[in-house]
Amino acid sequence: MTRNVNVSQCVAEALHLEMERDSSVIIIGEDVGLQGGVFGATRGLQKAFGSDRVLDTPISETAITGMGVGLAIDGFRPVLEIMFVDFIGVCLDQVYNSIAKNHYMSGGKVKMPIVLKTAGGCIGSGAQHSQCLWGMFAHLPGLKVVTPSNPYDAKGLMASAVENDDPVVYIEHKKLLLTRAEDFPFGTDVPKDRFTIPLGQASVVREGDDITVVTLSGSVLDVYAAASQVVNDDLSVEVVDLRSVVPLDIETIIKSVQKTGKLLLVDEDYLSFGLSGEIIARLVERNELPPIVRRLAVPDVPIPGALSLEQSVIPNTASIASTLLEMKRNT
Amino acid sequence: MISLIDRFGYMAWMREFELACLQGVPTREIHGELHSGIGQEAIAAGMAGFLRADDAMTSTHRNHLHAIAKGVDMRAMMAEIFERETGLCGGFGGHMHIFDPALKFSATGIVGAGVPVAVGHAHAARLNGKDSVAVTVIGDGAVNSGAFHEAMNLAGVMHLPVIAVVENNEWAISVPFSAASATETVAERAPAWGAHGDRVDGNDVEAVAAAFGAAVDRGRSGGGPSIIEATCYRFRGHFEGDADVYRSEAEKQARRAEDPLVLTRDRLIAARAASAQELDAIEQSIRLEVANLLVAVRADPPPDPATALHHVFVEESA
Repeated sequence: MTRNVNVSQCVAEALHLEMERDSSVIIIGEDVGLQGGVFGATRGLQKAFGSDRVLDTPISETAITGMGVGLAIDGFRPVLEIMFVDFIGVCLDQVYNSIAKNHYMSGGKVKMPIVLKTAGGCIGSGAQHSQCLWGMFAHLPGLKVVTPSNPYDAKGLMASAVENDDPVVYIEHKKLLLTRAEDFPFGTDVPKDRFTIPLGQASVVREGDDITVVTLSGSVLDVYAAASQVVNDDLSVEVVDLRSVVPLDIETIIKSVQKTGKLLLVDEDYLSFGLSGEIIARLVERNELPPIVRRLAVPDVPIPGALSLEQSVIPNTASIASTLLEMKRNT
Repeated sequence: MISLIDRFGYMAWMREFELACLQGVPTREIHGELHSGIGQEAIAAGMAGFLRADDAMTSTHRNHLHAIAKGVDMRAMMAEIFERETGLCGGFGGHMHIFDPALKFSATGIVGAGVPVAVGHAHAARLNGKDSVAVTVIGDGAVNSGAFHEAMNLAGVMHLPVIAVVENNEWAISVPFSAASATETVAERAPAWGAHGDRVDGNDVEAVAAAFGAAVDRGRSGGGPSIIEATCYRFRGHFEGDADVYRSEAEKQARRAEDPLVLTRDRLIAARAASAQELDAIEQSIRLEVANLLVAVRADPPPDPATALHHVFVEESA
């Protein structure tokens, strides 16, 4: 049964359950305590677990992420909140030089079971508050990267991220956080109890025969809507939601393209040197690249401020649908 | 409290350890820019004896002396520096990245990056209900990094037992402290972060020990963070291979004459705490031990190249 919850509440529920079962789980970030997060994804946690375990910090992202390193060495499981993923620029050093590398540099002696919880994606906020950047994190060895597209995955992936012994970058999509479960076409039924979703497992949210669309995060909703539209044009689209960027579930993609023979990659992150190119490269290396492949991603420009401009550079239902129809004609 | 003779022994160990490491550079057993702490031993030796295993220490690219003060196994550390399979981190870290989680010791090659890590250790102690302290050793270059300010401010806000030991050797590679800091000293900045600030002669091992011991007591008893600025001089270049032309020969000669080992030796003899012969014997015996250590380390194999992809993730399946 669909409960009346939004995605932020699902994240908060997951964190609550993790903190309840494991006293080493703590949350550190800006506005995570008293306010419960700017999107409400940590609401009620400080009241439940105290201000030492749900710590409001100054605007000091390097201190937040660096603290996480020390706490992790001492056996804690810090959930570090970087409010918007765009802010990672001011503390990337701790993320890619320490959090991502300490396990390796210590020859496996030190574990970094850290969740870097952050919000990405376009909601009309301009170039410095709209990026996705999962491709950048995925490029850096030592980080796992997940980004849920629906309420069920938001809760289950957070539980898995917290219990994982490796650092996990958990990227929420701002467009989804305040969307209610009943407004999603998939992933609507979220159990109250704890459950996990294995990292590195994609999900086929819609089955189809003619074209495979591989996508993730906020774009899954748009792809789903476009796939529903083109049914009228006698086009059956399979939608693969990656859920994890690292580890990448290439097997599910291969299985789908073997069936459809056509692949569209829809990515709200930047086009070049990123996720869509990497998936194509892996398919080539496996000798599984289908004959018809298209990419829809941000065409290597910053995200513009005005909504009319923004909509012209990020994949949306209309551009996805028209690309699908064009791919159909190309057979 | 350990005796001055023992501190002299620590300093001799540190000097001999660093001299042994220097031997691995021309032979190409050690690659990358090795940073020697020769000349700065009194600061690390002044910290020795105050810390427990559950106290944390974060260090820098010039970290070997601090690791010795914290009690890190010297054979394993030397093997790590000499890129051997038997190294503390199996050769995956190298000389700038020494990790010993059992002793809560870690080092980073990024200037200033260890300070917020110490804040995390200090908060961990609070969460565990323990009176452990977290020491972060940095150079004078690091005090102008954003990481230092963010971390010291947070330590002050949270009143955490963080002790920042600043080895002020006056040169951040080629830039003198006078050209890099708006204040004459680091210690005078301490009130900005609600921290206790001390400035001591870092060549004087007893002065360092007195200030450090007080800071540890302050941290354990809820007195909040401290900054200890210890003035010193690095006897060698920033790294082995540094032409070091930014410091005049006259300056280098004059400052190297103020050798903390010689100062400590003279003090011990003047106080009749030890004779020159006794101190010679201590140095001789340490020299022999380190030489044996080096022979043993050199007999160890390098890491197996086939393992280079290990340890990226705890779960190797990723």
